[in-house]
Amino acid sequence: MISSDVIRGYNDTIILYLLLDGESYGYEISKNIKELSDGKYIMKETTLYSAFNRLESNGYIESFYGDESFGKRRTYYRITPSGLAYYKEKCEEWVLTKDVINRFIKEWNV
Amino acid sequence: MDTIRNYLDNMFAGLPKTARVNDLKNNILSNMEEKYNELKSQGKSENEAIGIVISEFGNIEELVNELGIRKDEMTASKPVVTKEEVENYISMKKTMGKYVSVGVFLCIIGAALLILISTLLENGVITTRLSDEAAQIPGVILMLVFVAIAVGLFIYSGMNLERFKYMEAGVQLPGYLETELKQRYEAYNPVFFLRLIISVTLFVLSPITIFVAAMLGDETTTYGVVVLLFIVAIGVFNLITAAMIKESYERLLNIGDYSKQPKKEDKVIGAVASIVWPLAVIIFLFCGFVYGLWYIAWIVFPITGILFGMFSAAYSIITSKDN
Repeated sequence: MISSDVIRGYNDTIILYLLLDGESYGYEISKNIKELSDGKYIMKETTLYSAFNRLESNGYIESFYGDESFGKRRTYYRITPSGLAYYKEKCEEWVLTKDVINRFIKEWNV
Repeated sequence: MDTIRNYLDNMFAGLPKTARVNDLKNNILSNMEEKYNELKSQGKSENEAIGIVISEFGNIEELVNELGIRKDEMTASKPVVTKEEVENYISMKKTMGKYVSVGVFLCIIGAALLILISTLLENGVITTRLSDEAAQIPGVILMLVFVAIAVGLFIYSGMNLERFKYMEAGVQLPGYLETELKQRYEAYNPVFFLRLIISVTLFVLSPITIFVAAMLGDETTTYGVVVLLFIVAIGVFNLITAAMIKESYERLLNIGDYSKQPKKEDKVIGAVASIVWPLAVIIFLFCGFVYGLWYIAWIVFPITGILFGMFSAAYSIITSKDN
């Protein structure tokens, strides 16, 4: 399991990635994160909803109510054009970051 | 499922109840419930599922920071109470309300009996071999006994309610409990107003007994006073029991007179009350014993009541202007 401190700067990126293919809602996103990371990263509820809040107030995503025929109304999220631009920016940043950090990482053969 | 809901209620208890926060809470709740249902369908036990869901909740501080909620908006300093504590408080308040109103009832009835006995003596309905002054004593003793019982009841109810003082200082209710109490409060309000109207009607109509008694003859006027006091006693009894129930809801829900911190003027008004009321009792007893004015001396109580009411209202207005 990855500590949330290390990954903090990329929580928004992870969520935006999962919205690239279309709208989604809270639980689906957190489930996808868990599955795509093979259970190595579980995003906490408060982290997820802090990110939604932040992304929405920055205009990177927008929320709307789904029209479920039964049960509670779900809040869905979809990515905005500026969210997509931000996502691309973060991807470039990560490539750079990865490149820089990798220069300081020594691989140990245990 | 209730465990998750309660957990979330407690986590959010300290946050201001804005629409935004509420929305967020509902989203998180449905998220957690969905996770819980899926874990259950995967064959996890109830406890396991709840354990996992709660362990993956995270840290409420993170949301607080994200939402930009300032520390002064937080109400976490108030204790969060359980349903059981709240129910205990309400039922205790109800019972003690009865004790207090019985006490007040006894005080008024004691005065009424004293007047009745002295009038009966005066009119020669009761005859004794005692001197005029000595004959008054049994009535006074009777009244003092009633007052003593009443004081006992006041102290007893005060002691019982002492335990719940922290509740009266303001508490934080879990969301579902607040909704439930609000509904109960709103359901009680019409009952309270009905009882208030009954009591006020009794107070307003009570002087009729004096007029009726006066029409029947000079000697019977004082009997009218006795009946008046009896009617007033019933009205007061009804009003206090009703008000105590209303008060318990208002204190828990932080509404009405209890929405603010105890004000400074309460102390001043309390100090004046602690002087004025015993003084009224002294005047009452003095007029009775020294001048034998039992039939009219009771008037000091309503007069004190009205003057004191005027004073505290005026004081409140003056001090609130300063702020």
